[in-house]
Amino acid sequence: MDLAALKTQLKNFVQSMFEEGVLDNQFSQIQALQDSTNPNFVEEVITLFCNDAERIINEINRNLGYQNVDFSNLDSYVHQLKGSSSSIGANRLKLACANLRQASDERNKEGCLQALQLITCEYCLLRRKFQALLHLERSIVELETNQK
Amino acid sequence: MFNLRKSMALTLPLGEASDQDKWDNGGLERKRQLLIEIVLRSRLTALMVDGDTTCWVLKQELLRSYGVQTLGVDNGRDAIDLIASDAAFNLIIIEKILPVLNGLEVTRQICEIGMRCKMLAVTAYSGESERQAFLATSVDVFIEKPLDLEHLVPILRELDRQ
Repeated sequence: MDLAALKTQLKNFVQSMFEEGVLDNQFSQIQALQDSTNPNFVEEVITLFCNDAERIINEINRNLGYQNVDFSNLDSYVHQLKGSSSSIGANRLKLACANLRQASDERNKEGCLQALQLITCEYCLLRRKFQALLHLERSIVELETNQK
Repeated sequence: MFNLRKSMALTLPLGEASDQDKWDNGGLERKRQLLIEIVLRSRLTALMVDGDTTCWVLKQELLRSYGVQTLGVDNGRDAIDLIASDAAFNLIIIEKILPVLNGLEVTRQICEIGMRCKMLAVTAYSGESERQAFLATSVDVFIEKPLDLEHLVPILRELDRQ
């Protein structure tokens, strides 16, 4: 595939993520911050976010596995996940956090488990799409480098 | 505190031709909407207090794009120790939930130390009780994440005028 076609594919792919509500305008701001002085900023942020999100989701899962759930601790994790999701523009994941927060506030363990299931689904979807996005970006960079 | 510097007109990068190629009309419009041009006369400094790495990196880069020198700590105790050691900042951006010492307690102690600067609380959930609790301390602005330009740019302009 040539460079122009790859760029179009990337553009359309990102646009589809906006249209599906997977991303919101905050992600546009992150893309705008990437420049020649920081050419890998988007990839760095996505990588950081995914590492943190997976850690937090695993911690929430572990917490909910205990007979006596520490809901205060759980609330801290949800707070963090919602914050980082909002900051990177992960719209659907951010919204999914609200369900978990409400269930945690109600001390509803079953509700928390259901909400965590949704969060896990949304995160997996987001991660797959981020991986595809980064694959396209790397392909573009490789082609541009080869053409120089 | 500030050092007088040559005026700088800063915009978020509009992008060179190859970057523009990545955007359709809708994308370009979004990028134009993100462009907020400000002229900074001073070199401002900011302290970020946030335990989340993603949020920390994003805020740092956003501030850096406007020429603000940033220092970051990931827990409340380090923030207090820094302020207590006479480190001075124009702006402190603080999260509510922090390791060791929470953001609300940090802002109270900063006030007790006597540090005077603009304080911005940026947190994941902005309930009314949390908002009132922070504003009762020395926090000037309390917003929900993400830190957006609509809140940040007026603050930078105000600090630059001082």
